[in-house]
Amino acid sequence: MGDLWRSLVRVTSFSGKELRETLRRPGMLFALVLGPFLIMLIFGLGYTGHRQPFATEIVIPPGSTLPRDPEFYQELAPGRIAVTAVTDDRDAALQRLEELDIDLVVVAPEDAIEQLRAGEQAEIVVAWNQVDPVYDGLARLAVSTMVSALNAEIIRQAAAEGIDLAASELGPRVENLSADVIAEPTTAETENVAPTEPSVLNFFGPAVLALVIQHLAVTLSALSMVRERLSGQVDLFRVAPVNAIEVLTGKYVAFALLSLFVTAVVGALMIFVLEVPLLSGYLTAMLIVLLLTFAALGVGLLISLVADSERMAVQLSMLVLLASVFFSGFVLPVQDFIGPVQYLSYALPVTHGIATLQDAMLRGTLTDPWMLAALAGIGVVLYLASLLRMRAILRGAT
Amino acid sequence: MHSAALVTTTPAGTDPVIALSGVARRFNGLWAVRDVSMVVPAGSILGLIGPSGSGKTTTVRMLTGTLRPTHGEVRVLGEDPQRFSVRTRERIAYMPQLFSLYPDLTARENVGFVAALYGISWFGRGSRIQRALTLVDLWEARNRRASDLSGGMQRRLELACAIVHDPQVLFIDEPTAGVDPMLRRAIWDELRGMRDEGRTLLVTTQYVAEAEYCDRVALLADGHLIALDAPAQLRRSVYGGDVLQVVAEQPIDPQLVADVAEVIAVQQPEARRLIVTATQAGTATPRLSEAFRAAGVELVSIEEYQPSFDDVFTELVRRQRAAREEAEASADG
Repeated sequence: MGDLWRSLVRVTSFSGKELRETLRRPGMLFALVLGPFLIMLIFGLGYTGHRQPFATEIVIPPGSTLPRDPEFYQELAPGRIAVTAVTDDRDAALQRLEELDIDLVVVAPEDAIEQLRAGEQAEIVVAWNQVDPVYDGLARLAVSTMVSALNAEIIRQAAAEGIDLAASELGPRVENLSADVIAEPTTAETENVAPTEPSVLNFFGPAVLALVIQHLAVTLSALSMVRERLSGQVDLFRVAPVNAIEVLTGKYVAFALLSLFVTAVVGALMIFVLEVPLLSGYLTAMLIVLLLTFAALGVGLLISLVADSERMAVQLSMLVLLASVFFSGFVLPVQDFIGPVQYLSYALPVTHGIATLQDAMLRGTLTDPWMLAALAGIGVVLYLASLLRMRAILRGAT
Repeated sequence: MHSAALVTTTPAGTDPVIALSGVARRFNGLWAVRDVSMVVPAGSILGLIGPSGSGKTTTVRMLTGTLRPTHGEVRVLGEDPQRFSVRTRERIAYMPQLFSLYPDLTARENVGFVAALYGISWFGRGSRIQRALTLVDLWEARNRRASDLSGGMQRRLELACAIVHDPQVLFIDEPTAGVDPMLRRAIWDELRGMRDEGRTLLVTTQYVAEAEYCDRVALLADGHLIALDAPAQLRRSVYGGDVLQVVAEQPIDPQLVADVAEVIAVQQPEARRLIVTATQAGTATPRLSEAFRAAGVELVSIEEYQPSFDDVFTELVRRQRAAREEAEASADG
């Protein structure tokens, strides 16, 4: 009992020391608490989620029967394009595209209806000038939408002409025919059955929270041990009756308390001020946060045990952050990566944190419960790795 | 072996608290410590003295278990430092050479942290912290951050950390490095106070004059243990006997004392002053007085002379190097 009590005292010595040292830097703590919330607030308020429509010029060749009113074409792909002009000067339009004055040029066929009558496909030429793959994809989508609408319009015109002709020859049998139905025989009734309304703030809120938890835990813990190793404090630990489990557990407890405190504050602001929903209830969210914190502290402590300078510890922490932004599903879906890269994604605690927190908060249920086990597994593996390294540092005389 | 002859035994019936036998340590092919053997009895201060790079810190680190000897045997409280039990660790304190406390914590919190490291619970900690800080005269500064303390206060704070768990054995590496002379004296007073309470201390220092404060002194040079004895005995070993200083009213002829039976050697640094080495100061003093009176020389004083330890150390190193060169020359020949 005496040994256990002493061990507990030693664990708390590290926890207390780490807490005191962190609290002695109020600026850092302030930044830790308010910083993430402010970033999220600015992101939520400042990012509309609506991309600017592509500035588009429509080229209608001189002999075409297609309308020349910009409003007509604006309606073909509302929100995706902004028709700046309807012109018959193809070369001038392409020149403006070349100079990036406009984003899209759509060249209508010279006489689409005539070609349709002749049983030929008319050609719509669409040109854009994008190097950004995201915008390239969006441009293709806008073009696809617009071309479909334009096709429908051409069919509508041809069908209307045909119906008039047929009506004069066949009488009432074609009275129920409609050019609109022929051009677009189906319409879509859409419904998003997700339990929460999709919004930028709602979707990215849990992701930002997960990223903040991981980054906070990694940053706090990454510097702790490397500083003690470099400034000689570890020599005291080597001589003192303290073992690796006590040192590690003390640090885990301290940083977990700090991380959970900051998470609680940021989470409360997110839920009560920014009104991000929490459908699963607090227990599930707390479980996810605990597991994510445990795994992330393992990353930070392992960094602090292998880094040979504070600079290296900071660099490794930043690498983890960079990898987390790119591969965690924060920006791009994990499924969009090739298989081997997905392994890297799933090795990051935040990947599981983002997915489970988004599920818990926005859907109220976990679609991939195995991710909780993955978080626990990552945490245990990193704890054991840190323990081995710490043991080597403390008792492995050189 | 040179160092083997230096091994001293502890007083009868007491086990040595610290013992090294043929200990050596090599770094990248270079010997930092070579063939050091010595024992430190309980309740004494052993000063490990030598210039920078002489192997003092390496020796201390082998004693605390943070360095493994390349060969030889180390024992502290009867245990191999590589396999110290928790109980033995609780009886040991180590004060490293470099400042190794937490600058953002107050003096009190730093001492409290180390106390907790040694398993001292919250209930008994307060009084121990107060006692340790009071002993090093830092109680008034207990709420100041370590980073706000002067260099000397930081060293004293480290000393307070080292003693807060009431250790039996203390390894203190360069406690007076970079500390002003007044404070150095105060620190040594504290160390001697701990010795008087029955603790065993091994203290390293590069200030040779601090040998005076130790019960025994181990002189290290180039990794070799070149002397191990009480400070007074070290002086005797260098000069071959007791040293007396004779000052007269008029110039003295050194030949006047040459016939005194106890006299071993005579030096004359000044015309009116002689430095006389004698087998026994007690018997030589009246005979020297008699010889001067007989020659009509009026004496100002005749007293025991304490050569500085800088001189003692320099002479010992000179002899050791000469002996080594001689040994190498004869080996080559």
